[in-house]
Amino acid sequence: MEFFSFGNIIVYIDKFIKFINSIFFVILIIGLSFALIISPVDYLQGDSVRIMYVHVPSAWIGLSIFSLIAVSTILNFLFKIKNLFLFTKSLAPIGLLFTCLSIVTGSIWGKPTWGTWWAWDARLTSMLVLMLFYVLFILTLKYFKNNENLTKILSILSIVGIINIPIIKYSVEWWSTLHQPASIKFLGTSSIHTSMLIPLFLMLLVLLLYCALIFLMKYKTEIIKIKKQNIKRL
Amino acid sequence: MIIEFLKMGGYGFYVWSSFLVVFTFCTLLFYKTRKTLKKYEKEFAKELENLPAEHKKRIAKSSKVISSILASQNKLS
Repeated sequence: MEFFSFGNIIVYIDKFIKFINSIFFVILIIGLSFALIISPVDYLQGDSVRIMYVHVPSAWIGLSIFSLIAVSTILNFLFKIKNLFLFTKSLAPIGLLFTCLSIVTGSIWGKPTWGTWWAWDARLTSMLVLMLFYVLFILTLKYFKNNENLTKILSILSIVGIINIPIIKYSVEWWSTLHQPASIKFLGTSSIHTSMLIPLFLMLLVLLLYCALIFLMKYKTEIIKIKKQNIKRL
Repeated sequence: MIIEFLKMGGYGFYVWSSFLVVFTFCTLLFYKTRKTLKKYEKEFAKELENLPAEHKKRIAKSSKVISSILASQNKLS
């Protein structure tokens, strides 16, 4: 458990931040070149398909982060692991940002393809519900920070919120929606060509590196806050 | 050719605004997060400065967190 001490974690955080800073801009330029120049035009949607390269990774990140937060919050409630609490606190704003970005870019993509900025269909509405759960989670962290029931409230929010994740995933199959069904299947054959998959995964990598950078900076801030309190007590 | 690229086959407004929204908000969150981190590092280093020299030396030696923050502050100054 010594490995997970704040002292060791902060040393690795500094190393990771340096590593990400050294490779980020190269991967960003490669990702953008593929997304905006090299990838082919869709035979139906034309160049508007390029919005997919920011919309889809944003949605994936928004969903994955909420799942991670929910599992960590429940584990923290059960086993009282302080690192997990800092982990969820540092991840929540990133998840909210990417959920909002997926809604906004989806709306911009909707106008040329569906003819409308917004529709109250199952996929869009369930993503909006996810955004509300993120907002509730962050507000709870902010306004109940000194409350002894904080982990209990966060666990309830997580349990209720995680029910929404499969609803988002399968909404396009369960209901008739404007949103198209998934083109990328991790278990099965994807209906998307490699020439579009490469830029998609490159942009996912760019956004994941960005998330890691923000997460590490936030986590380091939280550790410093705790150490600051300890110094005051000396 | 550049005009054609910017027009994106008539979808330029939608494509560029999507990428611009993502870029703008990611940049904003990055700078806000970095500013907060620097603020706390600075405050923490200042509080350490106020400790008695003997005490400061001892905890800087025993704590990796403190030595890491002091190192980053020294780099800045």
